[in-house]
Amino acid sequence: MRYRRPGLDIASHAVLILALLAFCLPVWLAFTAATHDQASLYTSTAPLWFGDQGLGNFRSVLSEPVARLGTDVTRLLLNSTVMALGIACGKIIIAILAAYAIVFFRFPLRRLCFWLIFITLMLPVEVRIMPTYKIAADLNLLNSYAGLILPLIASATATFLFRQFYLTVPPELLEAARVDGAGPWRFLKDILLPLSKTNIAALFVIMFLYGWNQYLWPLLITTESDYMTIVVSLKRLLSSADNLVPWQAVMATALLAMLPPVAVIVLMQRYFVKGLVDAEK
Amino acid sequence: MATFQRHRLTPWILLAPQLAIVAVFFFWPAAQAVLQAFYVEDPFGLGRTFVAFENFTRVLASAEYYRALGITVAFSIGVALGAMALALLLAVLADRVIKGAHAYKTLLIWPYAVAPAVAGVLWMFMLAPELGLVSAWLGALGIDWNHQLNGGQAMALVVMASVWKQMSYNFVFFLAGLQAIPRSLLEAAAIDGAGPWRRFWTITFPLLSPTSFFLLVMNSVYAFFETFGTIDATTAGGPGGATRTLVYKVFEDGFVGYDLGSSAAQSVLLMLLVGLLTLLQFRYLERKVQY
Amino acid sequence: MATLSLDALRKTYPNGFTALHGIDLAIDDGELIVVVGPSGCGKSTLLRMLAGLESISDGELAIDGRRVNDLEPAERDIAMVFQNYALYPHMSVADNMGYALKNRGVPKAERRRKVEETARLIGLEDLLDRRPRQLSGGQRQRVAMGRAIVREPKVFLFDEPLSNLDAKLRVQMRIEIRRLQKRLGVTAVYVTHDQVEAMTLADRLVVMNGGHIEQVGTPMHLYERPASRFVAGFIGSPAMNFLDARRADGDLALPCGTRIATSHEVHNDAVCLGIRPEHLSRVSEADDTTLTTRVELVEPLGADTLAHVRLDGQEEPLVARLDGVQPVAEGDTLYLRPDASRLHLFDLDTGRRLDDKDIHSCPSSPSSRLA
Repeated sequence: MRYRRPGLDIASHAVLILALLAFCLPVWLAFTAATHDQASLYTSTAPLWFGDQGLGNFRSVLSEPVARLGTDVTRLLLNSTVMALGIACGKIIIAILAAYAIVFFRFPLRRLCFWLIFITLMLPVEVRIMPTYKIAADLNLLNSYAGLILPLIASATATFLFRQFYLTVPPELLEAARVDGAGPWRFLKDILLPLSKTNIAALFVIMFLYGWNQYLWPLLITTESDYMTIVVSLKRLLSSADNLVPWQAVMATALLAMLPPVAVIVLMQRYFVKGLVDAEK
Repeated sequence: MATFQRHRLTPWILLAPQLAIVAVFFFWPAAQAVLQAFYVEDPFGLGRTFVAFENFTRVLASAEYYRALGITVAFSIGVALGAMALALLLAVLADRVIKGAHAYKTLLIWPYAVAPAVAGVLWMFMLAPELGLVSAWLGALGIDWNHQLNGGQAMALVVMASVWKQMSYNFVFFLAGLQAIPRSLLEAAAIDGAGPWRRFWTITFPLLSPTSFFLLVMNSVYAFFETFGTIDATTAGGPGGATRTLVYKVFEDGFVGYDLGSSAAQSVLLMLLVGLLTLLQFRYLERKVQY
Repeated sequence: MATLSLDALRKTYPNGFTALHGIDLAIDDGELIVVVGPSGCGKSTLLRMLAGLESISDGELAIDGRRVNDLEPAERDIAMVFQNYALYPHMSVADNMGYALKNRGVPKAERRRKVEETARLIGLEDLLDRRPRQLSGGQRQRVAMGRAIVREPKVFLFDEPLSNLDAKLRVQMRIEIRRLQKRLGVTAVYVTHDQVEAMTLADRLVVMNGGHIEQVGTPMHLYERPASRFVAGFIGSPAMNFLDARRADGDLALPCGTRIATSHEVHNDAVCLGIRPEHLSRVSEADDTTLTTRVELVEPLGADTLAHVRLDGQEEPLVARLDGVQPVAEGDTLYLRPDASRLHLFDLDTGRRLDDKDIHSCPSSPSSRLA
């Protein structure tokens, strides 16, 4: 029962649909612009309908080296994928192990380890960017996948979430497993990991987005286009001192840059929402 | 909590990767940042001199720093209020229509997945001075839009792009918060003669306050740090520093101006600020536990 | 099939709290020992030490004469049934039951055969492919039992396995556990706080209190000759009545004037007299061997009637179990005669039974008495 007012319902739907359209507008315009050639783009304001290039602009940015970048977008997508997967998997793996040690073992200095790890939740990479850059340079990590991935794994969000989840596992499960002859590794593999499946999926979504959408760190650490990520490349495409901005190529690249994370979030929406709401707890 | 007791080495093996990464890429740089803040490095990187708090006093005495602070605060308020108000409105509407609430969620959630830099570029295209569609509409209304020249418009651009991206995050939380409010409360209020408007402000809104507070903190953190990509890709802090936030200034002073001491001092100040925000969040979490 | 020997087992936690003060016990092959006591008495800690889930601070634990103090639970060849069953939620019933065998490296075909054999034994054969969440409470309890049985352990350990079941199912499972344990002939240690469960299941009962063993013996022995006031009050339902009494010319005199002849040789002047509710009988007339009481509450149970009565000069009300349905009502005066041959006398200070030097019916080392 909800004291319905049909007029209000229709108005609500109208506002929501309007908002939806407004939210889609930037992407729609990007899509239409990406189907025009540069000349037709610059004859008037941005077109609301598709041009005559079809998917030609996409094909060309994917296959030919883009001006000012010296590499094609396929390579950039590959770099972004390696980085996002590296960060997501890396974080999840070390987080599973570290949280496992902290929750299921008693050992000296456990509390200290706990605080050492969780204090990292407080400071994002942007705050300590200069010295982190220097250390990465000292370790020879500039222009490498390791350099793109490792420093961004150094935050304990995933560890914290796994700890929260492990604490809800009934202690008798561990005891039963010990009586059944399972040691620490077997308990992890046979019992804990299968029970963590949803949490792993949720964290994977969040960490994949986090990794894919990184900007400042890849901007600093990659000077060679061989390791540049697609998100960072957009700025290079735009910074045209002499020429007109090739919007059709920029928009095609931007759409390609958002396609994988948007696909992940739409396909795994259930886990993503759960992951977000868990993160709040 | 049941534990494995006889294994002395295993926990250290399990912790080793995390501890190593955290030590090398968190504590070492954080310590470096703090240390660096008390030194001045010569321009060729050949040596450095201990200057105690001089970097801090220099930063805190510079008008530029306060300008960046003001811009950061204005930007954060703009993003947080804009993204939260819009999200709350849409969440309330989606919650009340019941039919389609889930569909709306699916259709509104995806901007969260878009990188801040990409969001900035999409909006830049819509507002491009010569060929942008929205800038043309604004021109028809008599507004001459050029964010490359007009500082206020540049700020509006980054705020809009950030709100567009952040709104979906807030929407998910507000909708979850709304759906958690017991229907019986609203029904009781309706029986007591409160109309939808009054029901919202006297019941729904107060019950949403924990969610709102949490989102306020999260949006501020987002506006502080994650919008770096939006700003750098669109305005690069310009024009004339009109969109130069604190984080952008740390980056500029360090990587463009090579003033390492000042950049480090600003980092330390930022750390203190973030620490404060985190403390606030913990205070809130504590309070929430008591509910 | 095995014997268990507990020699001065102690448990002291790092914070200095001592949960068990030297436990001595010898458990025979095939015996079902029930450990019973109020919460916090250390019974669960003791069981978990037998299982190897808690470390042993001091003393020695041996299974079949082999010291197992430092062995992991799995190496002790024991099986445990947990209070909340602790079934692995993501595994089928068959996988739950076979997990220990798998960890031991038993080949798949043999595993399957053993699981199916056990499932037939306890009536689970149709449920082998289900997940735990698809089962009822009683079925889960059965799976937990099956998981313990299938590995043919030397010792079964039960940690309040029936407390999550409803009353009717509890009685049914109690009988089934008893039958299975006898049929398999496996030594078992069973912990519960429910004294009815304890009485009906046990070959021998161990009553614990405050980290000590109060008494060990057969259920009937504990019922008839409780070694202490604590055991007397814990075993039997409703609980034993306690009265202050004085010695007078070989008889016992109660404050209300009643005198009870006793055969006990008692040297104390003042004692605590224990009378079970079923050893108070109703008489129609008062004399100096009866108690004159006023009825406060009547609980008709059908087969018998419980009368809660008040005796002058006595703080706690007494309970009398009267045969059949009795015509008594609240406010009535009731004359009760204690059965003089079934009285229990306890020391006022130590709570120990006064006429009985043989506190433990099983051999015990001096350390347990000193502790």
